[in-house]
Amino acid sequence: MKKIDLHIHTKASPYSDSVYDFSISKLQEYVEKLSIDCIAITNHNLFDLEQFNQISEQIEITVLPGIEIDIEKGHLLLISESTELDDFKTKCNQVEHLIQNKSDYISIAQLKEIFVDLSKYLLVPHYDKDPILKPEIIEQLKPFITSGEVSSAKKFKYCINDTNSLVPVLFSDLRFTHQMTEFSPRQTFIDIDDKSLRAIKTCLMDKNKVFLHHSEGHRFFQIFENGQKLSTGLNVILGERSSGKTYTLKTISRLYENVKHIKQFELLETDEEKDKKKFDELLTTKQSSVSEQFLKEFKEVVEDVLKIDRKENDKRIESYLTSLLKVAAEEDKMDVYSKCTLFNESKFIETNNETLKQLVEATELLIENAQYRTLIDKHISKKILQELAVDLMKKYEEVQQKNLKVRWVNSLVTNVQKELQSSTASEHVKDIDFYNVLLEKEKLEKFENIAAQIKKEKVIEQKDIRRFKIVASTKRFTGAQELKNKSGIQQTAFSGAFPLYDSPIQFLEELKKMERIPETEFYKYFVDVSYKILNEHDAEVSGGERSEFNLLDRIQHAHHYDFLLIDEPESSFDNLFLKNEVNEQIRQISKTVPVIVVTHNNTVGASIKPDYILYTKKEIVDGKAVYKIFSGNPADTILKTVDGEEINNYNIMLNCLEAGDSAYVERKQSYENLKN
Amino acid sequence: MLKESNHMKILKIDNGKGLYFKEPDQWIGIDQIGKEDLLTLLDNAISGDFEMDEFDTAALQNKAHQIIYKHLYQKFNELNENKSRFKDESEQLYKSAIEKYTEAISSENN
Repeated sequence: MKKIDLHIHTKASPYSDSVYDFSISKLQEYVEKLSIDCIAITNHNLFDLEQFNQISEQIEITVLPGIEIDIEKGHLLLISESTELDDFKTKCNQVEHLIQNKSDYISIAQLKEIFVDLSKYLLVPHYDKDPILKPEIIEQLKPFITSGEVSSAKKFKYCINDTNSLVPVLFSDLRFTHQMTEFSPRQTFIDIDDKSLRAIKTCLMDKNKVFLHHSEGHRFFQIFENGQKLSTGLNVILGERSSGKTYTLKTISRLYENVKHIKQFELLETDEEKDKKKFDELLTTKQSSVSEQFLKEFKEVVEDVLKIDRKENDKRIESYLTSLLKVAAEEDKMDVYSKCTLFNESKFIETNNETLKQLVEATELLIENAQYRTLIDKHISKKILQELAVDLMKKYEEVQQKNLKVRWVNSLVTNVQKELQSSTASEHVKDIDFYNVLLEKEKLEKFENIAAQIKKEKVIEQKDIRRFKIVASTKRFTGAQELKNKSGIQQTAFSGAFPLYDSPIQFLEELKKMERIPETEFYKYFVDVSYKILNEHDAEVSGGERSEFNLLDRIQHAHHYDFLLIDEPESSFDNLFLKNEVNEQIRQISKTVPVIVVTHNNTVGASIKPDYILYTKKEIVDGKAVYKIFSGNPADTILKTVDGEEINNYNIMLNCLEAGDSAYVERKQSYENLKN
Repeated sequence: MLKESNHMKILKIDNGKGLYFKEPDQWIGIDQIGKEDLLTLLDNAISGDFEMDEFDTAALQNKAHQIIYKHLYQKFNELNENKSRFKDESEQLYKSAIEKYTEAISSENN
């Protein structure tokens, strides 16, 4: 089994990194401390041959040459054999030449043109790690890509279990500087004896040959540089006060990104009124997607209606009718100019080809989509779609050509009319686009109907979170102050707008006059969405229940994170809630996210059935505090430090969770007596 | 201007009046021209070579005819410089996509 880290930075690229000074001694320390067998130097869009040779001479393990390339808006590691270094440098120089600023990237075609035979290299894209290389790009680079880089043990485990995912690899992506004080243990173990690129490539084709831990497969991973491991499932940290439990959680938070840390007492309410307000605000923010989703279509309607100038349309109709009547009355007075057909000619209306454009885009999407290819092909062949696309495009061109001609004629008609009209005192018929006027009138009527519908108060969504229920309802605004609160702008008053609340068009026109309110937010002032949390009896929750809801909600949302850390939940919640509600959720989430719970409580510590136990202990050695971590499986009789020091598991469990052996026996006896 | 006999004539001056071509042997007074007639003239003009009698104020007695003839003459004259502009402009957006898919369809047929 070899431990590899094929993503290491040693030189700052002018466009991708901030400046840093590389430290070879830190790289040496890293390789030794973490017992790494093979590394690859992969700087952004460059390869420094001279520096690579120096590193290879000074580092005793295998060092492979590589480059991290900005390609199609994602990142790709390209790693080479250590032979033909001059040729590799020439190729990398071409990449360097093409990337001249932060937003530059090369195309697949350029990659193939530069590196010619991609089968000679190991290609590893950013897979579940930012900036990701899009799946369709990876698809185009197959069969040269078999593995993908992920950013955490959680994602590694996910890819291993997901049959459609690439073979995952976890690398450090570190920049080695003098200032570094600790190293993140993100490396991958692979089942090979020989450290050649060919052997690594073969290994990275097979999920059965890559591991998070040298002996424990994917059940464990290394968390600290000293070799301390953790379960990828549920870990419980026990220990006396001030023995380093919270410190351990803080270290994980500092070393790793994307960590959800629920701190001790964080969820406990101290000021009921203040906390309730905060809770309601938080709930509204968190659930704002429900409101956004509900008002999505209405927002589009409002945006469309905003373009309509009702008064201007009325004016145009009036002006048209007046001029028409006048022309009719003056028919006998017509002169050589006003008798010309063009004198009163109306303009052509151009055909709107937006729908055709959308149809072309939709057809192209069906042709190009790789993700659902099989499903699309099952119903309609690519050839038919291509024929349809060509026909639609030709139709678009035809309509477009007609529009251009119409525009040409309209401009000619306008010029002739202007000169004819200025040469005579006769009245001319004012031009008007009746189609547009009628369309806009229809839109306004529809808008009034929709606005009336949307204001009807109703429940729009219900979501169950364990024994709680989140209910989102629409609510009419009942006064100018509510509208003002909604806007969040102090220096504005809705006293002019609110009286028109039930006349949507006039209300909207009044909002338009309010300079501080952005047009894009007008839709929010027609109806409000309120949220409440109900308990299992459909009653509004109490302060304690709000804290419970918060805890469950946070655990549930930990799916988005790479770690979930919970510090002494028993400080804020009672045992029944912890046993019935929390333990089950924690166990559930630990199937996908590594969880670390610090506790003194037997309900959490023992009943939760952890996968791994850690015991922290502070010892004073030569007047200095030394923090130790003993760890092992819950069923082990002995827990050990990484240096092999041992401690009895039974004693720890009793001391930490039951206040010692005698207290435990005494308590047990008391319960027995009560029972009898 | 463009005085080749095999070209289609679209505007002419005859007997002090401006006339436009409606159909063979039918020339109509330019004061009667409407937008649909202009569109037809435009189609005729871009489908082949065309010619017009040169604009001449003295030859046109009717003042309204002078105004209309002048504008039409100028505009069609400009058009003659680049008759393919409507086709070129309208084909800009999807030219390469049509080529790509047409090629794909024909190679699949082979």
